[in-house]
Order: sequence, then C-alpha cells, then structure tokens
Amino acid sequence: MSKLGVFDISVRYGKVPAVNDLTLHVTEGERVFVSGPNGAGKSSLLKAISGAVATSHGRIEMDGDLLTGCAPEAIARLGLSMVPEGREIFGALTVEENLRVGTGLRRDASAVEEDIADIYDSFPILGERRGAAAGALSGGQQQMLAIGRALMTNPKLIMVDEPSLGLAPKIVDQVYDTLCALQEERGLTLLIVEQSSLRAARVGGRMVLMRGGRIVGEGNAADMADRDALAAAYFGNSPTETEATT
Amino acid sequence: MTNLAQLFFDAASLGGLYAMAALGIALIFGVMNLVNFAHGEYIAFCVFALIVPSTDAVAMMFLGRAPALVLILVVLALGGLIAVASEYAVFRHLRRADPVAMMIASFALGFVIRNALLAAYGGRPKAISLWPGLNTPVNIAGASVPLLQLIVIVTTLLVVTGLALLLKKTRIGLEMRAAAENFTMARLLGVRANRVITGAFALSGALAAAVALIMATQTGVADVKMGGQIMLVAFIATVLGGLGSLPGAVAAGFMVGIVSVVLQAWLPLDARPFRDAFLYTLVIVCLLLRPQGLFVPASAKPRV
Amino acid sequence: MQSQHTSNRIAAYSTPVVLAVLLLGFVVLVALFGDKALARTMAETLVRVVLVVSLWIFVGNSGVINFGHAGYMAIGAYCSAWLTLKPQSKALFLPDLPDWLMQAQWPVFPAAIAGGLLAAFIALLSGAAILRLSGIAASIATFAFLAIVNTVYSNWEGVTGATSSVVGLPRYVNQWVALGWAVAAIFAANLYANSASGLALRATREDEVAARASGIDMYRHRLLSLVISGFFTGVSGALLGHSIGVLNPDSFYLGITFISLAMLVVGGIGSLSGAVMGVLLLSLLIELLVRAEQGMAIGTTHFALPSGSQEILIGMAMILVLIVRPNGVTAGKEFKLKPQWLRQSRLDSAKSTN
Repeated sequence: MSKLGVFDISVRYGKVPAVNDLTLHVTEGERVFVSGPNGAGKSSLLKAISGAVATSHGRIEMDGDLLTGCAPEAIARLGLSMVPEGREIFGALTVEENLRVGTGLRRDASAVEEDIADIYDSFPILGERRGAAAGALSGGQQQMLAIGRALMTNPKLIMVDEPSLGLAPKIVDQVYDTLCALQEERGLTLLIVEQSSLRAARVGGRMVLMRGGRIVGEGNAADMADRDALAAAYFGNSPTETEATT
Repeated sequence: MTNLAQLFFDAASLGGLYAMAALGIALIFGVMNLVNFAHGEYIAFCVFALIVPSTDAVAMMFLGRAPALVLILVVLALGGLIAVASEYAVFRHLRRADPVAMMIASFALGFVIRNALLAAYGGRPKAISLWPGLNTPVNIAGASVPLLQLIVIVTTLLVVTGLALLLKKTRIGLEMRAAAENFTMARLLGVRANRVITGAFALSGALAAAVALIMATQTGVADVKMGGQIMLVAFIATVLGGLGSLPGAVAAGFMVGIVSVVLQAWLPLDARPFRDAFLYTLVIVCLLLRPQGLFVPASAKPRV
Repeated sequence: MQSQHTSNRIAAYSTPVVLAVLLLGFVVLVALFGDKALARTMAETLVRVVLVVSLWIFVGNSGVINFGHAGYMAIGAYCSAWLTLKPQSKALFLPDLPDWLMQAQWPVFPAAIAGGLLAAFIALLSGAAILRLSGIAASIATFAFLAIVNTVYSNWEGVTGATSSVVGLPRYVNQWVALGWAVAAIFAANLYANSASGLALRATREDEVAARASGIDMYRHRLLSLVISGFFTGVSGALLGHSIGVLNPDSFYLGITFISLAMLVVGGIGSLSGAVMGVLLLSLLIELLVRAEQGMAIGTTHFALPSGSQEILIGMAMILVLIVRPNGVTAGKEFKLKPQWLRQSRLDSAKSTN
C-alpha cells in the first residue's frame, strides 16, 4: 500500500527551479534513500513534503490525505515528522524541553511520559543530560536528540535529511543502527536523504537517485551502489542508461 | 547616602518600566522577526482608553473611574486586544514578507493608530488623575520615595517572574521559546503558528497596557506622544539585549533606566536637557562595540 | 554585444531625462493655470521629490532602511536659516550664535549648498559609526540618530530657538527653484546608481554575503551613498524651510520620516522612478484628502472628512501597498527610453552574430 505519494511536483525559489515534475511513491514500512549530487533538489523535495516550502505544481498525499497546501503543523499532525539537515535542535532549550516541543499535538499524556522514558532508554546520554541546554551537546548527541524529538510527535513516517552530515563514521553507524531499530520496533516508514550511496547500500533499502530536480535512477540500494548510475548522475552522462538499469 | 538610596529607587523604577516595554517588543521580535514600531501606540491607546473620547481640553475619566481591579484587568485586556487585532489585520498578511517590509508596515500602523487617537482626543496633552494617592512619598532608608515607585518596582518583578514562569512552565511558553529560536522547526513539530503568534501579541499588548497604567499614574498626563519616546528606549534596550533574547531585554531595559537616571543626576546642569542625546549616543557606541547585543542568548547563531 | 551594452547604458541614463521632463510638464501646466495655491502645492511636492530621491540614493541602493533622514533635513534647514536670517532677528531669537554666524547674511543659493554640505558632513560622521552595523541594528541606530538630532535641536535654546519656532526665513522657494533642485537630485541619483560604487552597492543589496565574498567593500560604498544622500537631504530641509518660512524641530521628526518612507515604499524602493512616482502619487492623494477634509458641497449638502483622516488613510494605503504589491507600484522598474536607432543597431548586431 502506498504510504506517501508524490505526484508530479515542482518547487521553485523565485525563478530558479529546484524540483521538476517529480513523482515518487513510498510504501508502508519501506526505507527509501534519496541520493544525488549537491543541488539535485533532495532537501527541497523533503521540505516540500513537510510543507516547509510551497510547491508550484503537482500534489502530495499521505494515507490518502492531501498534503499540498497544508501548513507544516497540520502535516505534522497527520503523522509526518522530520529530522532536518543540520539537526536544528533548539539550542537554548533543555534536552527534555526539546523532546516536549513536539508533543503538543498529542492527547495521550501518559503515553508521552512513556515515550520520553523510552527515548532515554535508547539514548542514555540524553537521559543523563535531560536538564542541560541542548546547544551544549556534541554533534552526535544532537543528532540523537533530533531523532528522539521527531519520534515524540508519534509519527508514522519520518524523513531524515543527511543524518551523516558532519559526524564521524562511527557515530554515523550508530545513528543508522538506531534508525533501523526504531523502524523495526514501531513499523515506521523512513525517507532518508543520504549523499553516500555506499552508506545506503550498507544499511539497505530502496534508493532513488536525483539530479537537476528529477529522479534519474531507482533501484535496490545495494545494486545501485556498484553501478555507474552514480557516475552518470554526478558527472552528467546521459541518464538514459541509468534508467535502463531500473 | 540619602541621595544614593533615592537614585537607586529612581533607577529601579524607571528601569522596570523600560524593561517591561522592551519585553513587549522582544517577545514579538523573537516569534516573528518583527520590529514592531506600533508598540508605543499600543501604550498611548491604553492610556487614552482611560478617558472619554472628546477633543475638550479637560479630560473626563471613563474607564479611569472603574474600581482598580476591574480597571487593571480591562486595560490589560484592551492592550492585548489591540495587539492581537493589529496582527490579524496587518501582520498576518505579511508573514512571508521580509522583515524590512514588516517593520515599515508596523511604522505605518503606528502612524494610523496615533492619528486615530489625535482625531478622537485632540492634540493637546490632557491632565488625568489616576490613583493620585500613589504619588504620596514614603520614607525608606532615608529617601523619600513615592509609593508608586515601589509599586512599579514590585510590579516589574512580578511581571518578569510571571512571564518567566509562563515561558518556563506552560505549554504555550515552551512553544513560544521554541518558535522564537526556530519558527519553521517548531511548526514541523506540530506547533501551531497562529496560536503562538496570537499568544505573543496578546502578551505584548498586555505588557504595553501595564506600562500605560504606570505612566498614566506617574505623569498624570495623557499625551499621544507618550508612547513614542518609551518605545524608542525599549527598542534600544531590545537591540542592546540581543534581539529576541527576553532576559537580555529585561537586563538592558534596567541598564538603560539606570544610565539615564545617573546621567540626569550627574550631568552638569547645562547639559541636562540633552540627556537623551547622550543616552542615544551611548547606545550607538554600545552597538558598535557589541553589534550582536550585550547579552546574547547562549544559542545565538552568527546571523549571516 | 558591444552595442547592446551601449544601448543599455544609454537607456539607463535616459531615466532622469524622462523624470525631469515629467516634472517639468507638471510645472508648466501649473504655471499655465496661474493658480497660486496650486503653485504652492507644486513647490511643496517638488521639495518632497528632492527629499525622497535623496532618501532613495541611500535606501534604494543599500537596502538599509534609514529612519534618520529627517535629522539631516533639520541640520540643512537650520544651517540655511543661520546664514540667511537678518542679523537683527538672529540677535533677538538666537542670541548664542557665534559672532561670524550672527553677522552672516548670505544669498540663498550658497546657503542651501552650505546646508547640504553640513548635512553631508554630519552624514559622514554618523554614518562612519552607524554603517558598521548591519540590518535591523543599523536601522534602529539611525532611529537613535534621529532622536539625538531632535533632542539637541529641541533644547539648544540660543542656537536653534529650541521648541519655539524660528520665523522670518526668506520664502524664495517657488516651483521653479524646487524644480531645479529636484532635477539636480534626480540626475545625481541616477549618476550615482550607475557609477561603479552604486552598482557595487546594489549587488550588496541583493546578496550581502556573496557581494562581500567577491571583494566589495560594502561599508565604504554605503558611506559614500549616505554622504551624497545626506547632501541632498540637507538641501531639501533648507528648501522646506524657505518655502514655508518657519522652522520647528518637530517638523523634522516622525511625521516627515513617515511620509517620506511611505512615498518611497508606495512608489517602490527598488527604483529611482519609483521614488519620484511615490511622491507624485501620495502628494496627489494628500491634496485630495486635504480638500476632502475642508469639505465640499455636493448638491445642497456639505460633506467633509473628519480631520486626521488624511494621515489615517495614507497609513492604510501604505500598509495595503505593502501587502498587495510589496515592491511598490513601479515594482523596481525604471522608466527608460530606447531610441529607435539604438534598437535598430542592436538588431543589426544580433543578425551579424548569427
């Protein structure tokens, strides 16, 4: 069953196009990586889905609900959560307050407390520093906090933008282990922007390759990593070969 | 010694007033990056709400005749109302506009409110007497202090603590702080933009009303211009405190109050009329030395 | 390519010609009517053109909103008053003026230039400090500057007459004098905007970081534009004083700051034509509203807008423009002439390159 449907959307910043007539489907419980060079429109795609930027064309649906034109807070209420690029934690708020920002849309107060306890279980360091200003955490800890914070809205779909950005490889492993475990546990659907196809291949899932605001290739992450599809996307060879491989 | 105690009470009460005005401006700037030039006119509006609209020279008390408790609550509500109404009528339509456009729009809105007050009440300042008993002096530590000054100091402390508690302990407070830091991210987590912004405007307007009540009692005058001067000082305090930082706004408000009282006391007689000029020059110097504000929030990112 | 570039250059320089001809047309029309009140309104409007065009020289090119311009106006206006008032009346109203200033009785034109130069000098000093700031902090600092000038001029009893008005200024500014200065300001603004400094400054307006990265010294260009802007603002202050004959510090405070910004915003901050159009449009609106406040007879009944509605409606118009058309009525475009022979040569060169 299609969890998320993106139909023919375009995003423009002024006159500059970022996403062009892009169509993408994500099934329930699936893990999809979006890869491609800088400026391919990956982040814009995620922002458009989350409602942070407006689309100029096309429509987006989740579980049959129309997302296009909705405010970001309304989309969050429908069960979509986001771990943005650069983490964007609230540095002046404490760790625990960061987790609680996203609970305003929930009516199950006791479950909120349980969830916070769960997150402290999964990330003991966050529990230890729950009263500290989140800005004082290390990059890896902030990434964990951003993931924990996204979970607190009780989402069904989480989008993660470049979780490995600026983190040591060992920490990145940890981040992905956590994401996969959470997905397993809660039956989440994940849409992840990941520059490194090798990393995506190692984690496993479907991979979508973007260039110039379009999808230029698609397939199993492990297969895609070996292919010259990437070379084609990065160095600008004709995308037709890539499409043939899918 | 007496002198020093007197100076302390003057500085603390003036600083408290400035701090409250600065808080009102910082709240809105924090949530939506709006430099609200209409804030001074909210203050003037609340003062004039106390008297009957007429262009006569003598003021008739209107709201001013109500019992104190009712009066305070109604004026606070009116302040909140005009602020929320201005958000609804003007700023809501400019959410996607750049901060400069919003700033100019607020300047225009202030101009509209000021001239509406002028049309309704006439241009001459009017004497009003709101709780004149509060200006009777009390002797404390050898200084003769008007009761009102003490009330101002206590009120400021109450308002600042109350606001701090509200921001720290309530859901809407948490959402406001999160929104002040990163509005888009807060919305992505389901924080309702309209609720937070309306809340911030209501609080800001209520703070303007508190300032208005204090000024009306202290000066005994209703003047359309009275909002402008305090607003300028409040802006300056907000910028000095680091735009968007609430504790910074309070600290800088007190600081500006203290500096102006000290200047008033220590400047040579000839230079006293120019006190504000010295004050604003000091402000520009402060900005030059620390353009990001004197009290920058811990999380401050370099603004490119 | 060469010729297209030339053609664009010439088109850019045609803007002030178009604007000057437009203003001249209005003045000639008013002169033909021979109505005195209308001529006075025209002169006031043209003084506003000088003011708003000078405001544009800084704000339009740098993108930094300046609330301090009324301060430069006051400086220019009082300077010209000091130089042109009769020594007897100065001895009476402004007893603390230094002796040489007390005795001075300059012709009006050099006095206006001196007013402009003093304002430019103060702009240099204040700008040297304020322009080290950027964005909102800079705007607020300009506001503080305005308050400083107002405080000083409202309290400097023996030199500015404080809050009591300075009267008896020779009222030499008619529509022709004002037109002369308006055209001068427009040409200066256009020359500056198309100079290397103006172009560099406009680049910083689009993208501060990128412009700085490409080696543009934003501070120096901003300062230069503020000084030029300060000169003409000072002159506009002098002209205003000599058109109404009376000076008061409060005529150079929030009211005029608001009106000049409103004109700039309504016309469109992005272009010189916008600055001029904003003045013309809002002046027309003000004139209509003033007449409506005085009342008019329709049939047997007398209609009048309540006083104060002029300011209220202008404020609302400004907000409306900001919401509906944030770039103003001209939307940043300039009036330009593209002479036929230029267009022809461009076509030819296009053909030859094909």
